Amino acid sequence: MFKKRKTVGMTELGKREQRLAYWLLLPTFLILFTIAFYPLVQVFYTSLTDKTFASNQETNFVGLQNYHHLLGMTIKELPPVIDEDTGEQLLNPDTQKKVYERAIRILPREPVRFRELFQFGFLGRRYVVGAVDREFIRAMGDTISFTIFSVLLETLLGLGIALVVNSHFKGRGVMRATMLVPWAVITVVSARIWEFMLSPTRVGFFNVVLQKLGLGDGQIAFLRLPEWSMPSLVAVDVWKTTPFMALLILAGLQLIPKSLYEAAEVDGASSIRQFFTITLPLLRPSLAVALVFRTLDALRVFDVFQVLLAQSRYSLASYNYYQLIGNRAMGLASAIGVVIFVLIFAFAMLYMKLLGVDTE
Amino acid sequence: MKKSVVLILALAMILVVSGMVLAEKVEITVATGAVGIEYDLSVEAAQRYMELHPDVVVNVLDTPDLAQDRLGLYLQFFEAKSSEVDVYQIDVIWPGDLAEHFVDLYEYGAERVISQHFPAIVENNTVDGRLVAIPWFTDAGLLYYRSDLLDKYGLEVPQTWDDLTRTAKMIQAGERAAGNPDFWGYVWQGNSYEGLTCNALEWVVSNGGGTIISPDKKVTINNSNAVEIIEMTANWVGSISPDGVIGFGEEDARGMWEAGNSAFMRNWPYAYSLGNSEDSAIAGKFDVAPLPAGNSGRGAATLGGWQLAVSKYSEHPEVAADVALYLASYEEQKIRAIKGSMNPTIQALYSDAEVLQASPFFGSLYDVFINAAARPSTVTSPRYNEVSTKFFTAVHSVLTGQNDAQTALEELELDLEDLTGFEIGRP
Repeated sequence: MFKKRKTVGMTELGKREQRLAYWLLLPTFLILFTIAFYPLVQVFYTSLTDKTFASNQETNFVGLQNYHHLLGMTIKELPPVIDEDTGEQLLNPDTQKKVYERAIRILPREPVRFRELFQFGFLGRRYVVGAVDREFIRAMGDTISFTIFSVLLETLLGLGIALVVNSHFKGRGVMRATMLVPWAVITVVSARIWEFMLSPTRVGFFNVVLQKLGLGDGQIAFLRLPEWSMPSLVAVDVWKTTPFMALLILAGLQLIPKSLYEAAEVDGASSIRQFFTITLPLLRPSLAVALVFRTLDALRVFDVFQVLLAQSRYSLASYNYYQLIGNRAMGLASAIGVVIFVLIFAFAMLYMKLLGVDTE
Repeated sequence: MKKSVVLILALAMILVVSGMVLAEKVEITVATGAVGIEYDLSVEAAQRYMELHPDVVVNVLDTPDLAQDRLGLYLQFFEAKSSEVDVYQIDVIWPGDLAEHFVDLYEYGAERVISQHFPAIVENNTVDGRLVAIPWFTDAGLLYYRSDLLDKYGLEVPQTWDDLTRTAKMIQAGERAAGNPDFWGYVWQGNSYEGLTCNALEWVVSNGGGTIISPDKKVTINNSNAVEIIEMTANWVGSISPDGVIGFGEEDARGMWEAGNSAFMRNWPYAYSLGNSEDSAIAGKFDVAPLPAGNSGRGAATLGGWQLAVSKYSEHPEVAADVALYLASYEEQKIRAIKGSMNPTIQALYSDAEVLQASPFFGSLYDVFINAAARPSTVTSPRYNEVSTKFFTAVHSVLTGQNDAQTALEELELDLEDLTGFEIGRP
């Protein structure tokens, strides 16, 4: 409505002001164009080529081949291995499980080779899922599960901490300041500290503590065993980022007028009722902003993965780094960059729709 | 008025003269490592060069400690075709990958000195007949053993992997019974990184399983000797080696070794002088030997070490090459060998009395250094890094028990065939 009035009844002065506004905005647009839009287009263009990083080798245009390489997946059924004597499916003599043809023989090799991602059984048949770039698909899965678990835990813990430091108690100021310490530590530094604590011998803090509690033998390789590495990483991230979450939520809590609680008190609402009918609904905008921030941050996680897992397990961003620096495949690395961009964009849109973030 | 004219003239003179002086002084920047006392040694060497050549200024640029990070930095210089760095210190596995960015040192007088150096390293640094880097110092995997414990249990230095497994088991059982629950038989580098490629190459070569990809461009890794030895090493994890060895790098192994918690260790020569330093619990109680042998009958050591290469984008390649050749000369390598116990690449230094006094094992293990097995970096260039990553990932999956060696190597063979386009062959 406001817009309409502006364009219809615009005076000479209004037009002049508008022109001035465009001129004043021009530098911003130029800067945005050079530092955001231009590199983005450049990356997208590079992703359609087979450019080698730091090399004079000729670069060819390869169309969508890089994307096909990254995202190519297939499902094949594994035929059972039949015992020639009995005509029945062969059983593994050790485990008594049914034996199927090996995935490596079933997955296609031409024109590109598919590598085994995982197998699953469905309606008595056995299938194998193959991917052209197995590491990338795994990195995508790992990044998304890392994002879900870390953001979920950070939100819950952050909410709890925010509620505590929002209440009145002695030493609240000191508490609020100390709460922020993990967030103030540089991620690479804190990742190194955690690396020492997660050390695979009894030099490591966690191995000592768990052994004292009678769990494990003090030799758990937290960062190298597949079942341990993801929980360890989520723990590091939660430790580090919960304060940030708490801070954003605390700011939201302080926006809620005290009078609402007083009125609820008078009406005899319990504090649990107050939390669900007053605090949570009024906190929603701040919570949405905090969630968007953290989710987008977590999706492009690089430092903890790079420092703690290096090349044993990748996030999307650390796989991107590996392909660029380690493998010097600049075209492929650019394609990964574009995929990360699209993924983050999709998540951002999803959040806006789901949480009804006001765009006006 | 007159005064100011004189002043201006004087100023102009100063500017012109100083400009001439600056123009005459050629500036050369050398990018070197900064691990331990490496950086100080390089600065001292640069100082000596400048005393001999007053018209040259040599700057020393320190670079990240981790090889992978250092490569990342170099690649950025190359991508920008930067003339900022003239001489690069490069890893033994990089000449193939980076050859296009370096000058041929044969065009700058390297023939005079090249015959002094180990032929294997020279061959490694020669790409299509061009000498892209001059060897600076070398490395090879060694077996460190506790001589006091071998004496205590009346055992010999193991000659084969089976000997090692047995000996380690006995000492481990004995020491644990004697009250050290943290004692293990053998520590090595089992993390998923280039160090595992070095360790696993030693196992496979010593067992007659070839060098992953042979020099005549055949993928040779999928063979029974390789399968056998990798299965054996996977069995070490949790028996004679700690479970955590699959997360160990060089420094983790050295930490455990120097605390006196293991009977054997596989490591590079740098651990020798550190193991004898004051804060080491085992100073004077250990010695080094060649790594044990497998089916092939002889042990193998992976070739490591660093070279100096001159950038093609340098503004003064002649001077830069002269600096590189000076740093890699007999006198300079001798100083590094004595002060930093870095293995020279010049054969004659291994019989130099002063060098031998500083590091006696240089003499006794001369054969190990001269016969070290090179990683297949030159033949697979510029894809070596990817080849190595696939190799250590496959081996690591066996060590963690996710895969058996047969399956892992079968997949690796197909991957390497795809990656390099080479045929499959026998080692």
